[in-house]
Amino acid sequence: MPPERLHELSEIYPGVARGGVIDQFETVRIRRDGVHIEVSLSIMPIRDRNGRVTSALIIMRDITAAQLALQEAAQSSEKLSDRERMLKRALVALRESHERAKSAQLQLVQAAKLESIGRLAAGVAHEVKNPLAVILFAVDYLAESIPNPDGNIQVALTDAREAVGRADSVIRGLLDFSTATELSPSEQDVNKLVRRSLQLVRHSLTKSHVFAVEEMEEGLPSAMLDRNKIEQVFVNLMINAIDAMPTGGTLIVRTRRDRLTVMGSDVGVRKTDRFQVGQSVIVVEVEDTGTGIDETARPRLFDPFFTTKPPGKGTGLGLAVCKTIVALHGGTIRIGNKEGGGGARATVVLHGIRSKEGQSDGEGAGPTRR
Amino acid sequence: MEKVRVLLVDDEPSFTRMLKLNLEKRGFTVMVENNGAYAYTVAQDFMPDFIFLDVIMPDVDGGEVAAKLRRDPNFKDTPIVFLTAGVSREATKAKGNIIGGQQYLAKPVTVDEVVATIEKVMKKKTKATPASPRG
Ligand SMILES: Nc1ncnc2c1ncn2[C@@H]1O[C@H](COP(=O)(O)OP(=O)(O)OP(=O)(O)O)[C@@H](O)[C@H]1O
Ligand SMILES: [Mg+2]
Repeated sequence: MPPERLHELSEIYPGVARGGVIDQFETVRIRRDGVHIEVSLSIMPIRDRNGRVTSALIIMRDITAAQLALQEAAQSSEKLSDRERMLKRALVALRESHERAKSAQLQLVQAAKLESIGRLAAGVAHEVKNPLAVILFAVDYLAESIPNPDGNIQVALTDAREAVGRADSVIRGLLDFSTATELSPSEQDVNKLVRRSLQLVRHSLTKSHVFAVEEMEEGLPSAMLDRNKIEQVFVNLMINAIDAMPTGGTLIVRTRRDRLTVMGSDVGVRKTDRFQVGQSVIVVEVEDTGTGIDETARPRLFDPFFTTKPPGKGTGLGLAVCKTIVALHGGTIRIGNKEGGGGARATVVLHGIRSKEGQSDGEGAGPTRR
Repeated sequence: MEKVRVLLVDDEPSFTRMLKLNLEKRGFTVMVENNGAYAYTVAQDFMPDFIFLDVIMPDVDGGEVAAKLRRDPNFKDTPIVFLTAGVSREATKAKGNIIGGQQYLAKPVTVDEVVATIEKVMKKKTKATPASPRG
């Protein structure tokens, strides 16, 4: 018996001597080999024929194993809850990856959508252009049939005509976007295309009190470009810049020749890189002093139908079309805020053709600004 | 001078109805057919000086109608202008050229443009073939 348990003698045995029963009292005893074991004690008094307690029957059961089992059970129940926790975590992870899979799927769906925009556009064009044509004919007919149209009638007819025009231009934008896939390139002078584009937006410039500044580098190499499509790019960028300056400002259109010296995301040494180090390129920048680009809008600027303009003003196809067209020319386009803030800058980089009069790619190193 | 007879073939009744009203107001004689499959029969009956053909129609498309008309000596030289609400102007043009259509108009189009087109094509035709069956 371990010394610290000796007190049990005075606690248990007097009771037993008086005839009491001890039932499964758990305590600790020392085995013969000196090992402490947990035991369950049951003591029953034994009486003589006069009823006096003379001795006792002591049943001592080694419950160490049972206790261990119990402990193990407790532990394993803990382990179980551990496992449960792990399961729960796994479940969360699973759910997350499911979400991710779902968003990847969404992207795929979007890509598929983009691909089918062409077909969609054709369908939409047919279904919408017919009704538009009917409206336009009806308006024309009314305009000729009403003998002396008062001011309101004229306004109504004009509004209807303009609405048809607007809807038609949305459809045209869609078609441009979906049919921008074929190019008919020819040798072009980029400065000339930029100037023509400026001519095309001349009205919007004066209407919005925007002052246009040309900073064109002369003597640029020519480039193989689809004139109409590249002009469409420049016009889109200029219109965006003008739209960003509703109360007036300055539109700066800059062209320059550049030689690629730094490795950028699309500049490299491999043949497959879009632009290679040392290559001479033509850079066109369209800069404004407008509101600048909202950071939250940035990742979606080139998405079809992304627009921050009110309905009827923007279709959100401008930059999507620009990107498609520039990419078809093997060029790049990016748009961001000017370093010092106070407006946005769109940058288009296009390949130049090596000029004939002489490997000029080697001579006048770097751009010569004027 | 006799009124110019214009045949409109388009599957959209409201479109042909509106165009007919407008052209009649401008002094043309107009016949409408909304089913491409009957266009040739109607043309034989009406003997138009000028034909507008919708490119995309459910049963028979404008190209087929034009091809059939061109095989008939009566319509060998009748001006045909395609009307298209479709995507590819280039495709329309190519098709029109192959089957002999002189021009196409993209919907929506104003009545002025339609009339200008008729007048331009008719003038060219009169110059080219003065001995036209119809004046
Ligand atoms: N120069 C700019 N300054 C500020 N924001 C710009 C500029 N250019 C583009 N953006 C932003 O990018 C959005 C998308 O431009 P995008 O040209 O694709 O469509 P849009 O101009 O809205 O419509 P659309 O060009 O079809 O008429 C614009 O709505 C605008 O929020
Ligand atoms: Mg735009």
